[in-house]
Amino acid sequence: MTDLLANLALGFGVALSLQNVGLAFVGCMVGTLIGVLPGVGPIATITMLLPITFGLPPVGALILLAGIYYGAQYGGSTTAILVNIPGEVTSVVTTLDGHQMARQGRAGAALGVAALGSFFAGCFSTLVVAGLAVPLTRLAMVFGPAEYAALMLAGLAFAVVLARGSVLKSIAMILLGLLLSTVGTDLETGVDRMTFGLPALSDGLEFAVLAMGLFGFAEVLRNLEATETRDVVQAPIGRVWPTRQELLQSAGPVARGSLVGAALGILPGNGAVLGPFASYALEKRLAKDPSRFGRGAIEGVAGPEAANNAGAQTSFIPLLTLGIPPNAVMALMVGAMTIHGIVPGPLVMSRNPALFWGLIASMWIGNLMLLVINLPLVGLWVRFLRVPYRLMFPAILLFCCIGIYSVNNSPSDVLLTGGCALLGYAAGKVGLEGAPLLLGMVLGRLFEENLRRALAIARGDPWAILQRPITAGLVLAALLVLTAAILPAVRRGREEIFTE
Amino acid sequence: MTRGEGNAPRIRAPQDLLAGLALLVLALLAFWASRALPAGRLGAPGPGFLPRVMAAGLGLTGLALAVLSFLRAGEALGRFTLRGPLLVLLAVAGFALTIRAPGLLVAGPLVVVVGGAASPESRPRELVIFAVIITLACAGLFRYALHLPIPVLVIPGLVNL
Repeated sequence: MTDLLANLALGFGVALSLQNVGLAFVGCMVGTLIGVLPGVGPIATITMLLPITFGLPPVGALILLAGIYYGAQYGGSTTAILVNIPGEVTSVVTTLDGHQMARQGRAGAALGVAALGSFFAGCFSTLVVAGLAVPLTRLAMVFGPAEYAALMLAGLAFAVVLARGSVLKSIAMILLGLLLSTVGTDLETGVDRMTFGLPALSDGLEFAVLAMGLFGFAEVLRNLEATETRDVVQAPIGRVWPTRQELLQSAGPVARGSLVGAALGILPGNGAVLGPFASYALEKRLAKDPSRFGRGAIEGVAGPEAANNAGAQTSFIPLLTLGIPPNAVMALMVGAMTIHGIVPGPLVMSRNPALFWGLIASMWIGNLMLLVINLPLVGLWVRFLRVPYRLMFPAILLFCCIGIYSVNNSPSDVLLTGGCALLGYAAGKVGLEGAPLLLGMVLGRLFEENLRRALAIARGDPWAILQRPITAGLVLAALLVLTAAILPAVRRGREEIFTE
Repeated sequence: MTRGEGNAPRIRAPQDLLAGLALLVLALLAFWASRALPAGRLGAPGPGFLPRVMAAGLGLTGLALAVLSFLRAGEALGRFTLRGPLLVLLAVAGFALTIRAPGLLVAGPLVVVVGGAASPESRPRELVIFAVIITLACAGLFRYALHLPIPVLVIPGLVNL
């Protein structure tokens, strides 16, 4: 406990420097500004703004990035409430009751509760991250290649269950992602793999290009078709600060949402996605009058928003302690860290404690910043969102182009992104989702490296690998999860959660 | 849904059939592209090991989807419009070709005007004015406030902003 306090004190000492607070502020501000654009979620926002962190010292860069992440998250919720367009899967739930509240002239209260709930969840999960960091890092120290490979296998199995739609299709997309991650030079032998002789591919497919194509551009293409679902709220916004009664109604959902979100966020395989859905289902079940849900129930905003933010934060845990990015956003963080010469993993905490605890402290500061920025600026975002979509999306296209160009200062990256967008759009038409593909791509290289090493150590004897207890447990968990996904009973339950 | 004649199998899930076939093609492409890579032994897996295992898995899931599409009812194909994707792609390509030189002042309006035409609701004059404003705003924000190395206006030998 005293250790924890000392560590947090160290972190706040780093994060509270004038420059770093300034960076957290700028990050939240710019992140919200871009994230509030309809159809632009955290993945696209971070890709777009990644280049602005290049010139900063490592701690500052990560703090700026974390600020952008939280800003983008909150921006996405704002759009979900006001325009009924979720920036990403995690804010889909918020559109249900949030947008209804907005139509009834209670947009202010919805936004206020979302901000307050997120802040509470943020405080709670910052503590969770700080508390779990040390023990989990110790656990990571006993992990060998076999354990790492098995953990990632379990993560991918979770991802199949957590993805929406057909199980077969999500398995296929994960396999495709893993396959794409092998494109480029093989790290062990230096051989070019599946590059078709193109020098541009020998470094592998750029993750940012794929992410921006699938989640930036392709989203624009989808939104161009769905004109009927967009309606910017014309009703008055109402007061932002929730009433006493609204606060009392939201307190329980926020507390439960934080717990659910934080727990799910730790799972490798993008558990954070499930948080808001689970919280919404839970609140609906607990409610005295479930029929209010979907018609502007404040609990339906408070719980999922808290779960969303808590999950966003605890998904840093697998990255910081094990070096495994659990989702696309964290993979982008890895990219940013690598640029600054930091290899995420168990060694960061001992080798670079200032950076590690500084980042954790800045999570909390970022959450506070959001509250400070967003509550007073709600009016501004509303006016911003009244710009019609026919003007909004060309601007989004331009931002995306500038962002992807700046990652490597490479025009060919922009072209590749366009290509990915077209493929992503076409894949969406036959029900193939981009999210599992990105996860396969995220984990691919690490998975292959560890699997090959584990096999080499075991001299090619799979049974020798499975005799390691942790490995066997994780592989078993992966198999159980996959079998469960195929069982009809679980499948029905899963559909229920996602369609609610 | 297509109506089968006589005993010919009916396609009950067109989306799944198309998805399955596309995945199969990708798997075959991956097999072909990795044909020269040594797979190694289980004790010393080579560079071709994972690509082949994944391609095999991908092919199997693709096949399963395609076969199941005749047995299990699924969703029909949605409508495709070509205007949106084509214009957006054109806009992006235009940006890629003009950003190095002459720079953002040309590439920006190009993206906004060409891409903006992708919307059935677009209004040309409004779009042009907006293109100029948003380009200037972007130059200010990204180049001067956030210090990204974006070429704003490059005319070889004359201007380099």
